[in-house]
Amino acid sequence: MTAQKTSKQIPSLDDVTNALAKMIADKMDMDQTTIKPESELQMLGLDSLDIFDIIFSAEDYFNIKVPNDQVKISTLHDVAVSVHQLILEQNK
Amino acid sequence: MAIVSNRQRVVITGLGVVSPLGNTLADLNQNAFAGISGIKRIDSPFVDELNCKIAAQAQFNPNEHFTKHTYSMLDRTSQMALHTGIEAIKDAALIIDDNLRPRMGIFLGTGMGGAHSIEEGYVRLYKEGANRLKPFTVLMSMNNAAASAIALECQLTGPNQTFSTACSSSAVAIGEATRLIRHGYVDVMLAGGSESLLTFGTIKAWEALRTLAEEDEEDLSASCKPFSADRTGLVLGEGAAMLVLESYEHATARGAKIYAEVIGYGAANDCNHITQPSVTGQSATIQAALKDSGLAAETIQYINTHGTGTKLNDIIETNAIKNVFGSHAYDLSVSSTKSMHGHLMGAAGALEAIITTMALQNNQLPPTINLKHPDPECDLDYVPNVAKKLANFEYAMSNSFAFGGTGASLILKKLS
Repeated sequence: MTAQKTSKQIPSLDDVTNALAKMIADKMDMDQTTIKPESELQMLGLDSLDIFDIIFSAEDYFNIKVPNDQVKISTLHDVAVSVHQLILEQNK
Repeated sequence: MAIVSNRQRVVITGLGVVSPLGNTLADLNQNAFAGISGIKRIDSPFVDELNCKIAAQAQFNPNEHFTKHTYSMLDRTSQMALHTGIEAIKDAALIIDDNLRPRMGIFLGTGMGGAHSIEEGYVRLYKEGANRLKPFTVLMSMNNAAASAIALECQLTGPNQTFSTACSSSAVAIGEATRLIRHGYVDVMLAGGSESLLTFGTIKAWEALRTLAEEDEEDLSASCKPFSADRTGLVLGEGAAMLVLESYEHATARGAKIYAEVIGYGAANDCNHITQPSVTGQSATIQAALKDSGLAAETIQYINTHGTGTKLNDIIETNAIKNVFGSHAYDLSVSSTKSMHGHLMGAAGALEAIITTMALQNNQLPPTINLKHPDPECDLDYVPNVAKKLANFEYAMSNSFAFGGTGASLILKKLS
């Protein structure tokens, strides 16, 4: 994981999307520019265990806890929205 | 009377290795017979906190062989196993198609499985104060991870089993795989072992057992001295070694090159002490292999010994060989290649089986290096310090004995 949290401000949805894209690129050895918000994570080659790993990294990075029922394989945008929502809820 | 009834002959048709003596067959062959030691000061940040600062590490970089996505999900033990498994299949020029797939499996030996992953998890929990572990921790540390990684990558749908009998794990894996082919359950097996336990915690645990060699102050690489009067213990090593075993019929039908035949396998349990071997137990193991092969004891020309370099093992093993072979013990040659590659634990039996296979191919016996001071209680021909040519070399044995008591002996035959 090379991404670093640089601010204690609540990140925007775009920030979350970019950070997740960087985590995915790092894990999967991919060019980050090929990862779009609408990309299906499964189509990028991630399986359920890879998603767990990305969620694990996201939990560390954003200092949140992601409940099991919110771990889903969908698009990057869907995951980013879930994570962003959890950041907002858990930083109230 | 040999236990033979309509059984398939089993031959070795492929080899793969990651070892302190090199990660190619050519390098291993060169170094093991030139008496080169792979024992060095441990290359790790924690070395200064160790009492024992030497080991036989493998120079293995996973990123030279796999994508990050692949290797980051595998413990070092599994990475080395996967690489050697693939190399062994390539060496055998084996094409795994849908017909072969269910007729080919993998048996792998490992003592501690994913030792690095377990330790990394504990460091995270207990030292760094984290309250959760990485998602792959279970999958990376389980003992069958290495065999499963190979089976998954190579799509082997036959039996996939992991043997954990400490130092004899991979010899047992080879022997049991041989039996599976012999009795017709499968045609081909990948068999061998993998071990990477050079973590801070594991080395500390070995230090506490007081079986590790003291450093040779003049030459660290000469610290393992099996059968020599000045031996002080074993040196930990790491690596992986895999063999493609195949029925003779299957191998010849596809025109495979054949390195040697696995003609005998014997296993017995010591039941003496959790660490101390016994002449009775080791003799029973060797005799079981001889009986299995149907050979007269006098046929064996060379034994690659367990030869750890501990005070006790080397005397017990010498006496067991004398007990089984009688006066022939003084006619045959034995050596401990652990003097060069250290003790690979769960991978030791497989690496030593490969070196024994090479010995048959080379008509040459690998030496026991660092044997400078003969021990009156170890009075066999240990091929001291320099490899030795052996004309008409046809039958060799490889011995593995373990903490816990499980012994395994393999007998290999060169095909003319």
